[in-house]
Amino acid sequence: MMTVEDQIRKNKQDTLFVCIFMLLLLFGVIFAFGFAIGLPPIIAMLIGLPLSILYVLASYSFSVQSVISAAKARPANPKKRDEKLFMYKVEEMAIAAGLPVPKAYVQNSSDINAFATGKKPEDAIICVTTGALQKLNSEELEGVMGHEMSHIMDRDILIATVTVGVVGAIALISEILLRSFLWSGGGRGKNKSGGLLIVIAILFAVLAPLFSRLAYLFISRRREYLADANGAYLTRNPEGLARALKKIKADLPDDPKGSRTVAPLYIANPFKRSLRNSIWSTHPPIDERIRRLSQM
Amino acid sequence: MIGIILLVVVILLLVIAFVAYYYNKIIRLENRIDNSWAQIDVQLKRRADLIPNLVESVKGYMKHEKGVLENVTKARTSLMNAKTPRENIDADNQLTGALKTLFAVAENYPALKANENFLQLQDELTHTEDKISYARQHYNDSVLAFNNSIETFPGRTFAQRMGKKERQMLEIPVEARETPKISF
Repeated sequence: MMTVEDQIRKNKQDTLFVCIFMLLLLFGVIFAFGFAIGLPPIIAMLIGLPLSILYVLASYSFSVQSVISAAKARPANPKKRDEKLFMYKVEEMAIAAGLPVPKAYVQNSSDINAFATGKKPEDAIICVTTGALQKLNSEELEGVMGHEMSHIMDRDILIATVTVGVVGAIALISEILLRSFLWSGGGRGKNKSGGLLIVIAILFAVLAPLFSRLAYLFISRRREYLADANGAYLTRNPEGLARALKKIKADLPDDPKGSRTVAPLYIANPFKRSLRNSIWSTHPPIDERIRRLSQM
Repeated sequence: MIGIILLVVVILLLVIAFVAYYYNKIIRLENRIDNSWAQIDVQLKRRADLIPNLVESVKGYMKHEKGVLENVTKARTSLMNAKTPRENIDADNQLTGALKTLFAVAENYPALKANENFLQLQDELTHTEDKISYARQHYNDSVLAFNNSIETFPGRTFAQRMGKKERQMLEIPVEARETPKISF
């Protein structure tokens, strides 16, 4: 049986490993691109890398506002008792984590869900649905808040934005690469070894976006397990989050709100509840999360 | 020759970076302990400030429960007078117990339970109590991180030179999460 600390360490290692894999893919497509347009790889690297970093930073700096408006969230109202108690829970979890208190937001929806966003702990936001406030008891809500606080503590928002950015950059470069091959009609393949290289480059351009997307999903699922373990460590009560997840599972989404781009941020995917282990889902299956929590 | 000088310089820089890293780490972790104590202190004060309002709003309803209210006031006074962390924590545990009894007794007064002001105070006191226990937990987490850093190699050698000693954790009362049992 793994302790909470073991799970946390393992999840962090996995994330690091996959991040390195994604960076290698990015280097690979930049190399292939440089080769296709006849640039020396070093020059391609010098132009390509700053461009991809700029792309990632740009999407990062607009992330918070776009998430909040996509979810149609509003600040919690301290005059309502359930929202006040939610603000209390946010504050308690911030104290447990030793972090500044995030802003509390509420999204009108009968689903049970929650997400955290923010570029750094100082300007973080935790948002819950009105459904969660109605259907979860205090202990369960605390479990969910612990999970969200861990996302903030581990800077998952940063990791998510950067990985999404890298996936986007890889897709973009591969797309251009494939088109440039189509236009030139493989004209560069004057000799046999050049032809083989082009085939490899094309294959790479086709496969890289796929692999980077899978790597991103893998990180996303890892980070969910990590936030579950860390959240349980903060509340010292894995049972609370486990029970909240059971309620979420029983309460299937009826009217999903918010855009699909926000979906990976939620504690449970609002569009699709994957019950089986799938390499295409943003979240691990709820049953497996409950099982891991009950082992802690 | 230049190669050797360069090598020596690089090694020196690495050693300086290494020492600075561990020195800063130990100082940072120690400051975190003091900072988390300050957080507990803030919450204890906040709690003591709320008590007079609570006693005021309850007094009219609970005419026959003088003892319960007196215990709360007494615990508050010892919290206000507490000087060392030990005294603070003891007084706070006492206050937690007294408040638990008070809220349990309040269950027998429907008029009090319908009082908006009382309900708000109850919510806020429960919240402050939770904050105190989380602040204590964070204090202990910080102590653990600090102790680990000065007991394991290579932090150990630095800590000895810096004269840093292991810190004590706060004991969290076992009954903290249990519900009170009241007999009438």
